[in-house]
Amino acid sequence: MTVVAQESGTLEAIQRPRSVFQRNANLVRELSITSFKLKYTGSALGYVWSLIKPLMLFGIMFLVFSILLRVGKGDTDFPVQLLIAIVAWTFFTEATATAMNAVAGNGDLIRKAYFPRWILVVASTTSALLTFAINTTLVLMVTFALGDLHLTLRSLFVPLFYLELIVLVLGLSLLLSSLFVFFRDLGHIWEIVSLVLFYGSGVVFPFMLIKSQTLLDLAGLNPVAQIIQDLRYSLVVSSPLNHSMVSLIGALEVVPIMLSVTLFGVGFLVFNKLTPKFAESL
Amino acid sequence: MNPVVEVSHLRKRFRLPLDKSNTLKYRVTHLRSSSRYRDLVALNDISFDIPSGQFLGIAGPNGCGKSTLLKILCRIYKADSGYARVNGEFSAFLELGVGFNPELTARENIFLGGAMLGLTRAQLRDKVDEVLAFAELEEFAEQKLKNFSSGMQVRLAFSVAILGQTDLLVMDEVLAVGDASFQEKCFDTFNRYKREGKTIVLVSHNLASLEEYCDRVLLLNHGAIVADGPAAEVAATYHRMVADHALALERDIPVELSQGDPRRSPAVGFESVGLLNGSGQNTRRFDTGGEMTLDMNLRVHRTVGDFVCGVAIRRADGLLLSGTNTLLDNVTISGQLAGDTVSVRYTIDSLPLLAGGYLVQVSVHDVGGSDIYDWIDPAATFHINDLGDGHQGLLELRGRWQVEHETEDVLVRSARQ
Repeated sequence: MTVVAQESGTLEAIQRPRSVFQRNANLVRELSITSFKLKYTGSALGYVWSLIKPLMLFGIMFLVFSILLRVGKGDTDFPVQLLIAIVAWTFFTEATATAMNAVAGNGDLIRKAYFPRWILVVASTTSALLTFAINTTLVLMVTFALGDLHLTLRSLFVPLFYLELIVLVLGLSLLLSSLFVFFRDLGHIWEIVSLVLFYGSGVVFPFMLIKSQTLLDLAGLNPVAQIIQDLRYSLVVSSPLNHSMVSLIGALEVVPIMLSVTLFGVGFLVFNKLTPKFAESL
Repeated sequence: MNPVVEVSHLRKRFRLPLDKSNTLKYRVTHLRSSSRYRDLVALNDISFDIPSGQFLGIAGPNGCGKSTLLKILCRIYKADSGYARVNGEFSAFLELGVGFNPELTARENIFLGGAMLGLTRAQLRDKVDEVLAFAELEEFAEQKLKNFSSGMQVRLAFSVAILGQTDLLVMDEVLAVGDASFQEKCFDTFNRYKREGKTIVLVSHNLASLEEYCDRVLLLNHGAIVADGPAAEVAATYHRMVADHALALERDIPVELSQGDPRRSPAVGFESVGLLNGSGQNTRRFDTGGEMTLDMNLRVHRTVGDFVCGVAIRRADGLLLSGTNTLLDNVTISGQLAGDTVSVRYTIDSLPLLAGGYLVQVSVHDVGGSDIYDWIDPAATFHINDLGDGHQGLLELRGRWQVEHETEDVLVRSARQ
């Protein structure tokens, strides 16, 4: 018998962590950090772009609506309201648009490796959330330093509204990403829906400009409008043009909040229902 | 002790849409035709267990369902009915480097690939240098993956893939990659896994590599297990299956094919190709060592100069066993006038082939080889009978054995003792 050759170096395996939660959380973190990093490598200004884009949108909207059309005149805080709304809107639209492709764009991973598929969507949302968190922090710090923020007891609700926004975005992302695998027109449809939502949610004008109570009630059912309006109300001085959603639509305020939660539930169920078909369809 | 893998009555069917139906336009314009599918049964009632520590091979021709089975084991596909249960942790090597990103450095990819395996950043941090050393990529730790050669990428991917502590290793023919020294490392690792009593599933269409490693081989065909046992036994079944498949392909040469195909230069075409045994009878069955004559009739459609007739014999799976032509063998077929017929015979006095199914390919072309007049593949199929003498492989080499006994010197023998 020949002598077995000396093994050319070995690599001992590592015991995986027992907790499935720990594994999944770690994968979400790695994937979201990667896509966050990749989004900004290679461009000279890097992260600054994700700040410039909402600022440019703010600049244009401010010029058009506030200065040319004189929307929101008599409301000295309108620019701050606009800025907060635009940062939140940018998160909503970028997160949902990116998430749309979170499953369909990772066909290779899904066909070749096993891991819970929702991780792709959560990682995509987390990546957008990172940008959003940094932008929000910057905007709030600057506006606070300039004395444009009006922090009162009602500001305590702010984290809840941000939470509602995240729940809404995650629910929509689960729904969109799973449906998009089977129905590619959804990308275009969602762009149009986003455009309607942009103007229907009062991102660029005070909600109170809607004079008809029926229209106001109708528009107020939209969770994006409710979140944006309530954020403004909770952060900026109240004025004739800045009210809480409750004072505008009364008890109906329950509807958009329930809608956010329901959309999350629906997104979760649809995603789970479609998950087994992903690998075969991509 | 529980088996590591339990597979019970597994069924999987794919619905292949006949039209592209995932756009709105299609749905609107084809409202009533939403059910145009073709069903493909990939797995049909598969059941087997893998006891702990077994090295199992899964083989079968393309489309037999082996990849589907593997993907169900790895929880990538969901079975229609039945179940496949893995008791313990498993690592899947369906493809190396899944989840790697070319824009990231080697170091960053180790964290990403490790996370895909379920390992945390904290666990990997202490291991990164070791992984880089094993992959022989220490100097390239901070280089982007896209700048790596494919060999370097494979080395990194393999080194990461083996990081996860595992009870079951599932592999899909990834062994054939990388340079020789790294392959050696791979085999070292797999041998180590085997020594450590790990359960391994290796899928391959190459039975030879399975014979080398596996304790047991499953042979799949048309979504069912057709053989299950020691590798050598299953290999015999497999070769019989391939031969039967070749016989099923058997057909007479359709004359219209050689005349009517406009892609062929019509100067000379085959009219018939037949196989004759030693007694001159037309047959498809031959014996090892028997005589075989390939009888070809050619018709000249247009006046040509000298031309060449070629013959090749392939194993049923396409492997070329032998090929030659009249030019190589210094035989001249002189120029002919349109309308003439030419009979060409190629005789093998003693077939050196062992039991199995084989294909014959024939061609005619000009002396320069640039103008192919006719080319038929396969033109005929034949089968070598199993003589049951136990000879293995493809060829009968007619080797001679010689054994000599020499009585050793008594002194030398006692010295040895």
